[in-house]
Amino acid sequence: MPEITAAIDETGANKLLDTAIAQIGTQTKSGTGNLGPFVASYTVQGTLTNGSVDLIPPGTIRIVDLRLDWHIDLNFGIDLSAILPDFCLPQVCIDIPCVGTVCTPKICIDWPTITVPVSFGDFVKTTADFGLLISLSGGKWKVQAVIQGVPNLQFGASSAALLAAIGLAVTPLLLAIPFIGPFLAIAVDTILAAIAVAGVTGFLGPIITPFVSGIMIPIYEQPQLFRVLPAAGPVDPEVDITIDTIAADVAHNGNEDELVLTADISP
Amino acid sequence: MSLTEAQMVFASVHENALNDILTAFFTDRPRYLVYGSPSFVPTTTVAETTMPAIAFPGIPGGIQWRVRLSIPRVDLFKQSAPLPPQLTLAPGEFSASLAVELCLECRQIKIDPKPPRGTEGGDKGDGGGTDGRKDDRHPQSELTCCKLAVFAVGHIEHVLAANGEDAVALAVDAVEIVDIAPDALESLIECLLFMILQAVLADVRLPLRALRAGAFQLVPVVGPLIEDDQIKMRGNV
Repeated sequence: MPEITAAIDETGANKLLDTAIAQIGTQTKSGTGNLGPFVASYTVQGTLTNGSVDLIPPGTIRIVDLRLDWHIDLNFGIDLSAILPDFCLPQVCIDIPCVGTVCTPKICIDWPTITVPVSFGDFVKTTADFGLLISLSGGKWKVQAVIQGVPNLQFGASSAALLAAIGLAVTPLLLAIPFIGPFLAIAVDTILAAIAVAGVTGFLGPIITPFVSGIMIPIYEQPQLFRVLPAAGPVDPEVDITIDTIAADVAHNGNEDELVLTADISP
Repeated sequence: MSLTEAQMVFASVHENALNDILTAFFTDRPRYLVYGSPSFVPTTTVAETTMPAIAFPGIPGGIQWRVRLSIPRVDLFKQSAPLPPQLTLAPGEFSASLAVELCLECRQIKIDPKPPRGTEGGDKGDGGGTDGRKDDRHPQSELTCCKLAVFAVGHIEHVLAANGEDAVALAVDAVEIVDIAPDALESLIECLLFMILQAVLADVRLPLRALRAGAFQLVPVVGPLIEDDQIKMRGNV
């Protein structure tokens, strides 16, 4: 029989994970990714909120509707000369008596490269199964819930919305370019078609999924040399015990599923 | 039946772990097992606790004494450790067994340091008094000790530790010493040790946090109570 047993039911586990996930806080990641044909640099932030906990023996914690609120700031460059046709101002020629025909010089427009900054936020919900990982490292016992497998996050609605946001961000930048008028709609449509929803999904998936797939939810963390009582003066030193082993499991006891931690100790 | 029953959180500590924690306590703070008057324990240290001597008229400095306890070995209901027939372990109770050493500094007191006039050599005058004869029955000072095997039963109390956190303490309800005669003397010493053990164990306040090795939060609603060789408690997050 284990020397120390602690158990928590699903209601308690919900509260425990509410706190544990909230303590993970907002995480930030930066890098570059492929946004369709363009290379975009980004900074993305993700904040998790606990869903509904279902304890499943023998060792699974299922969180239904685990929510990830994410916000991305990205920048990508567009070489307009690659997507817009060459444009030259038409020459105007006039006949001047005794001089001959005089024409205005041929002026062609060299389309610039623009940098498009986009800021966008949304959320995604998923149901994920977590297993229990027990470790002793650096003199600390830890029990963490770690995700089993890579979740398939659905970005369809987010991708469409982000694509629209890109369109809205691109338009004023293009309007500032001289002579763009007749080509504005073509430019915006071409850019958005080049990226497309698939491109956005392909961009978001690899950078946002790790916020969920990489999480380790702290369930238990205590030093192996466990302090029973603090020192209470020069003649009453600290009292410690050693936690020799830790085990964790999800068990069905009676009519309840419970997360059970056990420990063996020595003086 | 689930472990948590109607509450959210359950925690239990088996008697083996409780004994480990008690061993840790008394090993790190041995002064809670050794108490003595100044000739035995001049000052309180980590190892021992100084106490006043027993004042008595005519005994300079008082009666010097010392008590040494061994680390109690606790058995939680259900009973698995032997008890003398005078004690029974009821549901919800614990028993404890330990060794106690009682010591006194037995001193010869000089009643009249000056011999009366007129008594020399072997004369024994009418005035009585000392005749210079040595009394070999007691040396000037002698340590006299006895060791006793002590058994106790009691219950646990939900208390607060010195730092204000929830804790348990062992409350002694009865003590039995085996084979002291006459019975009245046995009762007297049992009473003495009953009071000593109550006081010593009341000072050992084990935080509930430690009894569950720091797992989860637990605001107690049921317990702590003794059942199935364990101290159990249930509560909410």
